[in-house]
Amino acid sequence: MKRIRLVLAAVIVAGALIYLIVGGIRGAIVYYTTPSELLAQGPSAVGRTMRLGGQVMPGSRRWNGGTLDLRFTLGDGNATVPVIHHGAPPDLFTEGQGAVVEGTLGADGIFTARSIIVKHSEEYRPPQSP
Amino acid sequence: MKLSWPRVWAGIAVAAGAAVLLLVLVFGLHRDPKAIPSPLIGRQAPEFVLPLFDGGTLATPALHGRVVVINFWASWCFPACYEEAPHLQRIWDRYRDRGVVVVGVNIQDQDRPARDFIARFEQTFPNGVDRLGKISIDYGVYGVPETFLIDRKGRIVHKYAGAVTEETLASEIEPLLADADGASP
Amino acid sequence: MMAILGFLSLILAVGCAAGGLVALLAGRRLRHDPARAAWGRVAAAGLFAGVTLAVVMMEAALIGFDFSIRYVAANVNRATPLLFRVAGLWGALEGSILLWAWILAALTLFVAVGYRGRHPDLIPSVLTVLFAIALFFVGVMVGPANPFTRLPVVPPDGRGLNPLLQNHLLMAIHPPLLYAGYVGLSIPYAFAMGTLLSGQHRDEWMTLTRRWTLVAWTSLTGGLLLGARWSYDVLGWGGYWAWDPVENAAFMPWLVATAFIHSSMVQERRHLLRMWNVSLVILAFLLTIFGTFLTRSGILASVHSFTQSLIGPVFVAFLGLVMVASLLALLARLPQIRDEGRLDSPLSREAMMLLNNVVLLTMAFTIFVGTIFPLIVEAATGAKVTVGPPFFNRLFVPLGVLLLMVMGLGTALRWGRSGAEETRKLGWLIGMTFLTVTALGFAGIRGAGLVASGAVCFMTVAQVGEYVRGALARRAATSESFPRALRSLFALNRQRYYGYLTHLGLAIVITGIVGSQSGRIEVQQQLLVGQAMQVGGYTLRLDGLVALPGADKLVVAAPVAVFSGNSTAVAGSPGSPGALDILRPSENFYRQARTPVPTPAVRSTWRQDLYVVLMAFDPAAQSAVLRVVVTPLVSWIWVGGTIMVIAGVLAGWPSRQT
Repeated sequence: MKRIRLVLAAVIVAGALIYLIVGGIRGAIVYYTTPSELLAQGPSAVGRTMRLGGQVMPGSRRWNGGTLDLRFTLGDGNATVPVIHHGAPPDLFTEGQGAVVEGTLGADGIFTARSIIVKHSEEYRPPQSP
Repeated sequence: MKLSWPRVWAGIAVAAGAAVLLLVLVFGLHRDPKAIPSPLIGRQAPEFVLPLFDGGTLATPALHGRVVVINFWASWCFPACYEEAPHLQRIWDRYRDRGVVVVGVNIQDQDRPARDFIARFEQTFPNGVDRLGKISIDYGVYGVPETFLIDRKGRIVHKYAGAVTEETLASEIEPLLADADGASP
Repeated sequence: MMAILGFLSLILAVGCAAGGLVALLAGRRLRHDPARAAWGRVAAAGLFAGVTLAVVMMEAALIGFDFSIRYVAANVNRATPLLFRVAGLWGALEGSILLWAWILAALTLFVAVGYRGRHPDLIPSVLTVLFAIALFFVGVMVGPANPFTRLPVVPPDGRGLNPLLQNHLLMAIHPPLLYAGYVGLSIPYAFAMGTLLSGQHRDEWMTLTRRWTLVAWTSLTGGLLLGARWSYDVLGWGGYWAWDPVENAAFMPWLVATAFIHSSMVQERRHLLRMWNVSLVILAFLLTIFGTFLTRSGILASVHSFTQSLIGPVFVAFLGLVMVASLLALLARLPQIRDEGRLDSPLSREAMMLLNNVVLLTMAFTIFVGTIFPLIVEAATGAKVTVGPPFFNRLFVPLGVLLLMVMGLGTALRWGRSGAEETRKLGWLIGMTFLTVTALGFAGIRGAGLVASGAVCFMTVAQVGEYVRGALARRAATSESFPRALRSLFALNRQRYYGYLTHLGLAIVITGIVGSQSGRIEVQQQLLVGQAMQVGGYTLRLDGLVALPGADKLVVAAPVAVFSGNSTAVAGSPGSPGALDILRPSENFYRQARTPVPTPAVRSTWRQDLYVVLMAFDPAAQSAVLRVVVTPLVSWIWVGGTIMVIAGVLAGWPSRQT
């Protein structure tokens, strides 16, 4: 009798746990997309938090020091997505290089980035030449 | 060891869980989590004219029909460029008669140290200087060393960031050589 | 020269580990054979000598700029300061494995020599396990992770440490402390496995290893604390914990080790939870290996990740081997670790300990799922996903509250059945908590913060209550003064009263965490030199842009004068009286790095931290972009954490009785 109660309690606890975890994860998964994939999703992509990765298109970077608005375009060779981010560009951020942003796509087609995660690569720099 | 059913079941359950976990981890080893697919993969490799250390120039249109390995390097890039230099030379020795060209592009460097580097490693493949940095910008080169593998049709097939090894390059070059469509070697 | 000697030392180490393993296994039939134990000692000494020599060679190479060795060329350059050359030993993959092996070899030698002549039926089995583990780690260094690999041509200079790792003194201490904790957990594991393998004894292993476990736990706590502090001081986002896979990898063994420390008390007292404890210690050890694998294989992107290498498959294989071996041993010896007796009542200290184990393991499981999930999803569907901090934060709030309640109850209740006194204690506890929660509610704290505060209060009052009760009882018995009575409590029962102190430290930490998560203010603004901005009760004025050349870097600092109050009129001219402080956030341009590393400037008070980062600057326009974060109660985390570590150290301090 006691054994059954114990097993029942364990099952209930385990069930509650799984419910919490599954529910929690579902709300916190952030999918990674590329500009082509994002555009292909159409209006269903609006409002969902996701990560967008691509190349910072050369010539697209606009930085307004007064409003701290950073605008640029991410592309993957087939499609481009305009991005806006509030805050100074991270140090690794340059045109022509890869970048991943995390944020949401607005109804106007502009991706509002809450954070910019720049691709971290081996860093080298020549010594100051005489 | 008494084999009672609950015990067996418990053992099986844990073993199964462990096996699944290990499989997932093994899978994880085959992916590069930091890889953002380079937009250049699959595109035509940008053409350029490279002034060589030995004098003269190398123009990439002349390389069409051959498999090309373009390696961006610098003499101050320790230790990775020093690690991979012998491997690149060995690839050149091994495949030059089979229609593969290794091209070294020296960037952000000085003449004397670059020539010393080439001499120390006894490199014999074409090696030149990207004086204005235009070639590295076209290829989206961010750091050194970076190596690009280009097939016979001039498409960029692979990009390596960091030191490459002879085995890695060879394993990727062989299928490209076997690919018999397009121009002859 | 050093490379060759170093490599040969590692070969020696492998030989000794293998030899010791073989000798001990071969002599298993002769249970009490002194020769067998002697061979074990010799092998342990050889192992330690070999690894120590390798460490000495590597340090000599690092300090002496021997760039013929690839590891040195990758981690040190001519401008690296001496401290960071020494610390370069644990700066990257192969070196950290060397450090791990060294600590393990030292512990193995200690076990072999320190228990000489005692427990002759247990120690050889323990050493067998230790030699097997050591064989893996030194074997890996002779194979895929050779720290002494040479370069074909000696480069004139090296690359140097990642600037992020060179920016802070804590870099020197955090990894060894963490590894000491990781490796320390091998000892209770080896003793538990030794017990299973030898089929002897049932509880001895736990008493023998109690101090080891405590030392390992304290090191892990210190390592985690330093890691969080380093993250806060260096990474520039104003936070201290990001649920990064490598952070998670260190947190999981800590949770399991904490659970183990508590349930081992139950086993010592009531001889219960035997199988539970053996399983826990196996799990803790597996998690340290798993954590090492996560950090070093590069399968999950992280601030910490060392680059990918061949180490991955080797570690998976080892992990699998350890899992299978431990499971088999456990199943084979199930009768040996059967419990006698059972839990008397749900309202007892042992029941609360078991419950606390469940909560802690749930936390560890949550972290595990969250960390592994991206891999599973990608394996199943091919989609790349990440699991962000909201998942962990959301789950840890209810779990944390639950844990605090259980801690409070466990402290108040006693071993065995609880009686009238416990009921009175509980009543008192509930009453005090209710009063505090009401007061806080009136003060404006709401929602999750209020619940958390209530739980912290519950737990804290329980600890304080025990101190007061104990001191009063002692005073009544011996007529000592209250302070003296309180002090003698610690001497009488270290484990218990330093344990309560650790709980109090944790309460302070949790208060700091709760405070820093709510009420955080972050603002970014561009300022011209001389301009001021207002953030959360402070006025900050940019006073200039200064360039300071250094040995291995160029530092650009932006002195910022801080005033309290929200008035720009207060910020008169540079250097005007009334400035609370002058903070100097800076950007460091290292020789070998393409991009600068920002160093935040922090002003801490017990109430809040003012955190300023120089994000960008323009020397021509004399302007700078500053990120300013005001976080309440952050310093409580460091203070509370330090108390926990001190309590852990003092609890394990050798006393005259031992």
